[in-house]
Amino acid sequence: MSQLQTRFFTEDKRYVVDDVPFSIPAGSEIQDLSNVINKLLEAKNASHKKVDFDFLVKGLFLRTTLSTHMETEGISTEDVVEIEYVEKITAPEPEECMMHDDWISSVHADTECKNLTSLLLTASLDHTVILWEWNSEKNKVKARHCCRGHTGSVDTVATDPTGTKFCSGSWDKMLKIWSAVPTDEADEIEEPADRPRKKQKTQQLGLTRTPIMTLSGHNEAVSSALWIDSDEVCTASWDHTIRIWDVESGIMKTTLTGSKVFNSISYSPLCRRLASGSTDRHIRLWDPRTKDGALVLLNLTSHTGWVTAVKWAPSNEHQLVSGSLDNLVKLWDTRSCKAPLYDLAAHEDKVFCADWTEGGLMLSGGADNKLYSYKYSPCQTDAGA
Amino acid sequence: MAATTSSTSSSDPSPGPEPEPESKPNRSSRKRRTEPVDNPEEELVLGSAPADAEDGDDGDSEDSEDSVYSGLEDSGSDSDDSDPESGDEDRPEETCKDEGDVALDTEVQTEKNLEPQKDEYEQDSSDEEDIRNTVGNIPMEWYADFPHIGYDLDGKKILKPIRTKDELDQFLNKMEDPDFWKTVQDKQTGQDMVLTEQQVALVNRLQKGQFGDVNFNEHEPSVDFFTHEVMIHPVTNRPSDKRSFIPSLIEKEKVSKLVHAIKMGWIKPRRTQDDSRGRYYDLWASEEQGKTRDMRMHVPAPRAALPGHEESYNPPPEYLMTDEERAVWEQQDPIDRKLPFVPRKFSCLRHVPAFERFIHERFDRCLDLYLCPRQRKMRVNVNPEDLIPKLPRPRDLQPFPTTQAMVMTYPHVSPVGFWSLFWGDDGTARFWEVSSGRCLKKVEVGGAIKSAVWNPNHNLSLVALSVGSVVLLVSPPSTAADKQVVTATERLLSDEVEPAAGEGPVVWSNAEGEELHQGIRMKIQHPKPVTQVTWHSKGDYLAAVMPDHSSHLQVLIHQVSKRRSQNPFSKNKGLVQSVAFHPIRPYFLLATQRSVRIYNLLKQELSKKLQGNAKWISSLAVHPAGDNVICGSYDCRLSWFDLDLSTKPYKTLRHHRKAVRSVAFHRSYPLFASASDDGSVIVCHGTVFSDLLQNPLIVPVKVLKGHVITHDLGVLDVTFHPSQPWVFSSGADGTIRLFT
Repeated sequence: MSQLQTRFFTEDKRYVVDDVPFSIPAGSEIQDLSNVINKLLEAKNASHKKVDFDFLVKGLFLRTTLSTHMETEGISTEDVVEIEYVEKITAPEPEECMMHDDWISSVHADTECKNLTSLLLTASLDHTVILWEWNSEKNKVKARHCCRGHTGSVDTVATDPTGTKFCSGSWDKMLKIWSAVPTDEADEIEEPADRPRKKQKTQQLGLTRTPIMTLSGHNEAVSSALWIDSDEVCTASWDHTIRIWDVESGIMKTTLTGSKVFNSISYSPLCRRLASGSTDRHIRLWDPRTKDGALVLLNLTSHTGWVTAVKWAPSNEHQLVSGSLDNLVKLWDTRSCKAPLYDLAAHEDKVFCADWTEGGLMLSGGADNKLYSYKYSPCQTDAGA
Repeated sequence: MAATTSSTSSSDPSPGPEPEPESKPNRSSRKRRTEPVDNPEEELVLGSAPADAEDGDDGDSEDSEDSVYSGLEDSGSDSDDSDPESGDEDRPEETCKDEGDVALDTEVQTEKNLEPQKDEYEQDSSDEEDIRNTVGNIPMEWYADFPHIGYDLDGKKILKPIRTKDELDQFLNKMEDPDFWKTVQDKQTGQDMVLTEQQVALVNRLQKGQFGDVNFNEHEPSVDFFTHEVMIHPVTNRPSDKRSFIPSLIEKEKVSKLVHAIKMGWIKPRRTQDDSRGRYYDLWASEEQGKTRDMRMHVPAPRAALPGHEESYNPPPEYLMTDEERAVWEQQDPIDRKLPFVPRKFSCLRHVPAFERFIHERFDRCLDLYLCPRQRKMRVNVNPEDLIPKLPRPRDLQPFPTTQAMVMTYPHVSPVGFWSLFWGDDGTARFWEVSSGRCLKKVEVGGAIKSAVWNPNHNLSLVALSVGSVVLLVSPPSTAADKQVVTATERLLSDEVEPAAGEGPVVWSNAEGEELHQGIRMKIQHPKPVTQVTWHSKGDYLAAVMPDHSSHLQVLIHQVSKRRSQNPFSKNKGLVQSVAFHPIRPYFLLATQRSVRIYNLLKQELSKKLQGNAKWISSLAVHPAGDNVICGSYDCRLSWFDLDLSTKPYKTLRHHRKAVRSVAFHRSYPLFASASDDGSVIVCHGTVFSDLLQNPLIVPVKVLKGHVITHDLGVLDVTFHPSQPWVFSSGADGTIRLFT
């Protein structure tokens, strides 16, 4: 077996080795390279404990032998190969399984539990979004506002980074911006005049609120919406487009056209990319800054059913989690697009939602009435990132 | 003595060295060899001197000398007789004696005596010297009427020998003369002469094809005078002449003369042949056209079939006939027989008997050759690739459903957008959310549902179900539609219109109590079981099918707003399979077993009758633009009718292997799908162009499999999602599959 000239480097200060080229057998795999690094570190530092590493060649994770990887990626074997190594991402461990009474369609993790009370938003099939107030001490919720205006089931809500506004996307193809400030105890002006319903709602949940702005443009249901920053909203729709709206002016800025229905999108401020899950098994990465176009940066393909949820890791620019109707939750690294890092096969039925917490937990819920949380150790990669 | 010998040549063995094998007539009858036959060599050696001893006649011997001298032997003869005896033996034997002219003899004698010692003339064999008859080489018949036969050297006549022999003499001669067999007549002189032993031997040798000379060695070793090998040195070393280096003056002179003559115009260049046809031309150009064509259109005779294994004397056992086959073979008419003989097995080739059918077989072959149609088959050489119509690749025709996305266990489906409606034999209709596959509402109807359709009007939220002989109008969950839509529906249903009861067979009634709570709003009671309900695109009219062979009451059209029903057909045209409203125009399509009829509802008349070649139409779907209709049939076909084109199918697709159960058009995408009992759903791309001249483009794009065939039933129903390129299929295995 031929030898390759390699040079190892890392961003992680703890595991730096000397910058000298090594001659490595071309057929070596991750484990061999990992042993090499550990040997080097031991020689340098006697108290070193064995650590598993992952290796990146030209920004892509090494998954096969070095030679086959370089062959498939078309990297010349003549030059010295620069190999970056990072500490291996440990497998997420299932931590908790919370049983619910019914299907879990959405999960959201929030870190700001400092106050006694916090606000919740729920979107419903009955065309309304309700703003709840949750008292964590008493563990009671109280409906503060009932946001009416949609004429179809509301599929998605998202609050803006400041927490003063939220947007909702609905089956009626509309995107509406609402105020999220619950302090107005005073009524929002409702127009009861155009609703001369003789059958008034029996119990009115909270005070009725009307939208600040309605943005129309999609031809099909809006399936997912999120805030890119405080004045930009991105929506994904069943009409095969992702649109980015300027909330201030209320105009559409960009349209990204795909070929399939989008179920879910997620935006990572770290890498400034959109990830979309669609009805054809693929997770696609988009650059929202491209003006008009359908440029897909990357396809992540491993699911066998609709991808119903995608979520970028809050602290890592490479990682995202996806849930699919094939009962799997997958943890991805964009540097290894051929295969996910880990498959989390905990669910027994369709997965509908997934999220991360800042505290290092991954959450996923689905049609088996269970909300799973997985312990995930992001600390090392944080150091690397 | 000489006279006797001369006169009776037969008695005298003439030992002449001259072979006269061909017995040349013009010569040498005069040559009388008086020498003894036995030793010509000795005489040769002795020369001419002792010749008298045996002959007893000096004259003879001298005569012979003379003949030698004068070259008698070659006189008038062909050169060939001299050749074989070019040897020494010739000379002494020139002892021929000419009895015809004694005077000549004496003359010659004197001559001879003059120069007895001239040896050099012994070798001489001049041709003319010895000719005693000077007439030359002429046909001797010319002298037939004369008493003489020629002239001698002195110009005197040579008289013919007296031939008085009659037959008797000849016979006596023959009997008595032992030399008769070798006696020949010299034509030139008319004398008889007897061939010598040597001459006879010579004749014999020549007749055998041998050389005349006994001593001639025809196989002498050849001597290579000049070797065949190329030598590097010249044979002669003589230097070239000087004149070979200097130009020849004579040639120069000749050339200058020719040049001068050409200049003066005395010599003209050779005239070129005036050849207008060219040097090479089509020899058969003027030939008749038909003749050559016939030759070109040669049709070869049919070939005889090659013998097979069954004709072997020792065929493999599978070629031998069993007893039953043999019995069948014997009962068959000879024309019907597959083989004209019975294969038989022999242990070895020599046991094979004669083939008694040989004549038959040859005769049949001749008949074949004679009666075969000599007609050229026009074979069209077409590239098979060209026959395949140029269709776009399915990949370019995205989007269409490709993969199975969801499996739900329930019998039937009727999706509208966000919601899908499932119904089935267990008496419930269920409303499901498509995106999650969650059942949101369940309506108990108390009977097997045969058909369920959403109202196509977007302003109405209503579902029609057929349960037994009742058609139910059910409102879906209120969250499924906009409030305004719900109120509009409410308004439509709650309008107090007095149903025109009593007149027809149909009873309208509003649901009450528990049923109303479930969402059932209205019941339409029919006289017979309803198998299919269909909405008009406006959402007010509803057609119900009650198939019945015998009745004319098979189709009823209801108007929901007026609570009114009518029977549009007064005649029974056959078992109604399926009906459909035209999406745009006031037409009503009705599929019976064999044909599809299109009725104009305004004019109340039949406007078109589509004749598919289907045996039993199962389902019918109308393109949303209204100009095209597809029909699925139980004989595996799907027929596409272009209503503008003809009443025959524009295209018939036979992609399914079993009965086609259901067909469907997509509302917005150019897609249609067919479901079949073979467990597959085939999605086809069908673009209809607004340009009337362009035919619809039909490309099969995807075969969707997944349903399990149960009880020989595969996919029972297929429906498209109204907005997405998704297809729902419900199978006999109790599952609904969504393909996206």
